[in-house]
Amino acid sequence: MVSLFFSQPMTPAITGVEEQEKLLEDAIGVVKVQAFQMKHCLDKSKLMDALKHASTMLGELRTSLLSPKSYYELYMAITDELRHLELYLLDEFQKGRKVTDLYELVQYVGNIVPRLYLLITVGLVYIKTTPGLKRDLLRDLVEMCRGVQHPLRGLFLRNYLLQCTRNILPDVAEEDDEDGSVRDSIDFVLMNFAEMNKLWVRMQHQGHTRDRERREREREELRILVGTNLVRLSQLESVTLEKYKKLVLPGILEQVVSCRDAIAQEYLMECIIQVFPDEFHLQTLNAFLKSCAELQNGVNVKNIIISLIDRLAAFSQRSDGVGGPGSPNQVPGIPQDVKLFDVFSDQIAIIIQTRQDMPPEDIVSLQVALINLAHKCYPDRVNYVDKVLLTTVQIFQKQNVDKLEYNSAVSRELVRLMKIPVDNYKNILIVLKLEHFAPLLDYFDYEGRKLLAIYIITNILENETLIPTQEQVDTVLSMVSPLVQDQPDQPNIEEDPEDFAEEQGLLGRLIHHFKSETADQQYMILSAARKHFSAGGNKRIKYTLPPIVFQAYQLAFIYKGLKDQDEMWQKKCQKIFQFCHATITALMKAELAELPLRLFLQGAIAIGEIRFDNFEMVAYEFMSQAFSIYEDEISDSKAQLAAITLIIATFEQMSCFCEENAEPIRNQCVLYASKLLRKPDQCRGIATCSHIFWSGKSLATGGKEMQNRFKVLDCLRKGIRIASQCMDTSVQVQLYVELLNHYIYFYEKGNTTFTVDIVNQVIAKIKEELPNLEVSEETEQIQKHLANTLEHLRNRMESPEADGLSYQGLIL
Amino acid sequence: MSFFGFGQSADIEITLDGAETRKTADIKSEDGKKERHLLYYDGETVSGKINISLRKAGKLEHQGVKVEFIGQIELYYDRGNHHEFTSLVKELARPGELTHNTVYTFEFANVEKPFESYTGSNVRLRYFLKVTIVRRLSDIVKELELVVHTLSSYPDMNNPIKMEVGIEDCLHIEFEYNKSKYHLKDVIVGKIYFLLVRIKIKHMEIAIIKRETTGSGPHTFTENETIAKYEIMDGAPVRGESIPIRVFLAGYDLAPTMRDINKKFSVRYYLNLVLMDEEDRRYFKQQEITLWRKGEKSRKSQTASPHMPSHLVSAETGFPQGAAQNGPPSVTPPVQSGQLPSANITNVEDAQAPIESMTREEGDGEGAKEVNSESN
Repeated sequence: MVSLFFSQPMTPAITGVEEQEKLLEDAIGVVKVQAFQMKHCLDKSKLMDALKHASTMLGELRTSLLSPKSYYELYMAITDELRHLELYLLDEFQKGRKVTDLYELVQYVGNIVPRLYLLITVGLVYIKTTPGLKRDLLRDLVEMCRGVQHPLRGLFLRNYLLQCTRNILPDVAEEDDEDGSVRDSIDFVLMNFAEMNKLWVRMQHQGHTRDRERREREREELRILVGTNLVRLSQLESVTLEKYKKLVLPGILEQVVSCRDAIAQEYLMECIIQVFPDEFHLQTLNAFLKSCAELQNGVNVKNIIISLIDRLAAFSQRSDGVGGPGSPNQVPGIPQDVKLFDVFSDQIAIIIQTRQDMPPEDIVSLQVALINLAHKCYPDRVNYVDKVLLTTVQIFQKQNVDKLEYNSAVSRELVRLMKIPVDNYKNILIVLKLEHFAPLLDYFDYEGRKLLAIYIITNILENETLIPTQEQVDTVLSMVSPLVQDQPDQPNIEEDPEDFAEEQGLLGRLIHHFKSETADQQYMILSAARKHFSAGGNKRIKYTLPPIVFQAYQLAFIYKGLKDQDEMWQKKCQKIFQFCHATITALMKAELAELPLRLFLQGAIAIGEIRFDNFEMVAYEFMSQAFSIYEDEISDSKAQLAAITLIIATFEQMSCFCEENAEPIRNQCVLYASKLLRKPDQCRGIATCSHIFWSGKSLATGGKEMQNRFKVLDCLRKGIRIASQCMDTSVQVQLYVELLNHYIYFYEKGNTTFTVDIVNQVIAKIKEELPNLEVSEETEQIQKHLANTLEHLRNRMESPEADGLSYQGLIL
Repeated sequence: MSFFGFGQSADIEITLDGAETRKTADIKSEDGKKERHLLYYDGETVSGKINISLRKAGKLEHQGVKVEFIGQIELYYDRGNHHEFTSLVKELARPGELTHNTVYTFEFANVEKPFESYTGSNVRLRYFLKVTIVRRLSDIVKELELVVHTLSSYPDMNNPIKMEVGIEDCLHIEFEYNKSKYHLKDVIVGKIYFLLVRIKIKHMEIAIIKRETTGSGPHTFTENETIAKYEIMDGAPVRGESIPIRVFLAGYDLAPTMRDINKKFSVRYYLNLVLMDEEDRRYFKQQEITLWRKGEKSRKSQTASPHMPSHLVSAETGFPQGAAQNGPPSVTPPVQSGQLPSANITNVEDAQAPIESMTREEGDGEGAKEVNSESN
């Protein structure tokens, strides 16, 4: 039996895949042959011969040539065969064979690797048949395995030990039990764990440095073997919290810390977190986190802690939890006596302090985890979140961080950190309660701040949060100031106009969320907001001030609604419109024309409807402002037409002027319309003007339409005349058709100065000119327009309406 | 014995008393074959019957019949000279005639058998009975081999062997065997503690070496034989590692240590601790151990403890529980497996322990040969 000697190969292998396959194939071949013979001998009850074959088979595991993966396959093949031996032996010994002899016998095998595999196999049988010796045998086996110091072979050997003993580890609490107690199991597994970990760590330091990458890869492949020890410990049911605290965890942590290997530490800490129950973690946080502070520099402590926090946070959210340790009727989740947040907060502070080389982004990541914890476990404790923010600020102060460059790692992490409260509360008002949110915001550079500003605004908009006080509006606007106004650190690059418009659009939408419940407060808000926005410069105010103006108009309507409760409402309204006037004037100063024009017109309408004291004068002022903008600022002829049309339309809607004021405005409209540069424009302007004489209202008419039919006719005649002056027949015809429509409109409205004759004349005129038009798309449109109009008339003729209006004599 | 077919002849048969119940033991004969003979211990009476049967009818003249009990040492290089250390003679018959088959009884009462039977490579120590029918021309002789085992009682002193050895700046180890004297069915328990490892060790083994020394002065012959090789470690340990040793002796072909037997030869045993590095250099340290034979009965009583088999080790020291106490005050404090390596270094320095040197052999030595022969 002593004859198997040292044929160990001495070149640690770097062999190709093919060679590996070949080697493995050969080894498996030997295993098959020997296993067959072993079973054959067992069938014939030749135990000694069977053991010899088993030993030869196990000799294959002495190789140094196989990669961990191939070695694993070989190991699996062999241990599979060993099970036959185990079953046979178990059977034999239950029949009464003496096991002691065999336990001694297998120790004569000269080579240590096969010897120990056999010893474990026999030892297992021994334990099963002689439970009284369990404790001693386990100790003996785990001790003897020290003989294999080769990392790969040692790891697999000890793995075999662990696998074999998995079902027989004593798992009872009583200390005086002869078969051993869970205490023995803990000692056993801890020892095996420590040894395996040492072997695993040792792999790192063997061989050439250029193979480091390969070595680390191989270690990754093998780590599960080490981790299985921890799994085994976690499966011991008699390990109570007490035992975990006093024996298991300290044992593991001591080994993890003292091995001083980054790969091992990172993996094992993660393992601890994953395999043991959350209830245990909760009670051992301090010990665990303290060890985290002692890990190697290369270890990513951040990930470990984050993983733990995530687990506990998830645990606290599981409502189906079996309850914490302690009283059975305790609410599932975090026990009251565990100050989860405080513990983490303190320990993380210590870790950050002790690990000077920790990159700032990792520090921030830790804070992210902490803030997540605070959110999930203590959703009501806003001060916890604020505390994290404060800590972060302090860390930055200590590290003399000035500005965080956009898209740097730290900046990205900090963005994550800041987004969490925004996302979680879904309510900016709570975020505003965080005192240290804004100071932290200042650490970003322009880009970063802008990004967060957009994020915050989007959040407000999505959650439809209303911001009810002036102070809050102030704070929010200072938070999003990169959008509101130019920043000192803003880069000098021209922004993409589309993006810019979009950002400003967001701001505009934000304004609509400044809503107080009381009108007075609302006014304060608006003026505060305007203060912020007016600092935004010309390019911004065109986006930001109009919403304010509209808000102000709305506010005025609210005051109108409150007029029974608020005696001062008229004064207040007046003030509001002054406010609006000033705001719009600011827009004018920014050399905008159309926008203020429209705002003035809109204001005029609002005033007309609200009718507070002195309304007419104010409305007149607004109208005249509109006219003066028209005069001074709008020079493009198309814009002029559009503007005058708008003015006319607005005025047509208004009924708040007395005749004294209405008259000049009307005349002004006609004047401006006829003064338009291009004939077609003139024609259209005048035609439009005709309506203010028909449906326009004033105080004098008492809110009824004035229906000045002569003026209307005048206007349209003037229109026909101007149209006839057009050189371009196509345009001319187009204008005629349009005018025809006006005629028909007024005719149908009952303007008695209009007769069928006039309509006939216009139609005749059109028909006369129409054939002269060249065929083009325009012509087609005109024809279509005409056809539609005629169709309308035809319908009317065929089915005259009840009011007696008739188209008799109409020639189509 | 008879010439030309005439003349009387006789067969001699020696029957020892209690042969059916007496134990037997194996011993190698000179040509290496195993033979089995009856086993005697020192002081036991050797008695029996001698049956002389005549080959044919008629008488047999003789000058006397005697039986001898002989213990002798044969040195193979000196064939002619056998050194008899014991020679007892019993006269069975005076000169006369034998006319019919005769049975004689004999008894060597309480014979002193000071040495153990032994067959070595250069020497042989044997006991035998020799019956001689003395005749004028040629004697009729019959010999019967006996095997003698010498039993010893428990040694009074049985200190552990503990030593720190090494090669400077290269390898320092501390090894410990639990005893210095082992009986033949004993277990060697011990451990190796690595204090300094700067070589890439491939494996470590323990060899049991038998050294037979014959002759004296310039004619001394020494023969080394490796009885057992036992791998106790695979792979390279690091500083602070402690490797357990457990070797069962019962399975090997061992005899008690014999020192200066009758001034003719000695047989001694050594434990050779061998470390092999990756360049196949061997580092070894030999340490003599004394082997002794223990009486059967006392052995049984010793293993009778039902609860704890002696071959299990304790987790802490690698020694059987309680074994450490009877050692001498240790040079270095016992090394705990969990202790930090640096602490040990200082301990060693404080104690000023002398480090004995190990022997280093280059790779083309014995080890390499073994590799070759084994891999064939």
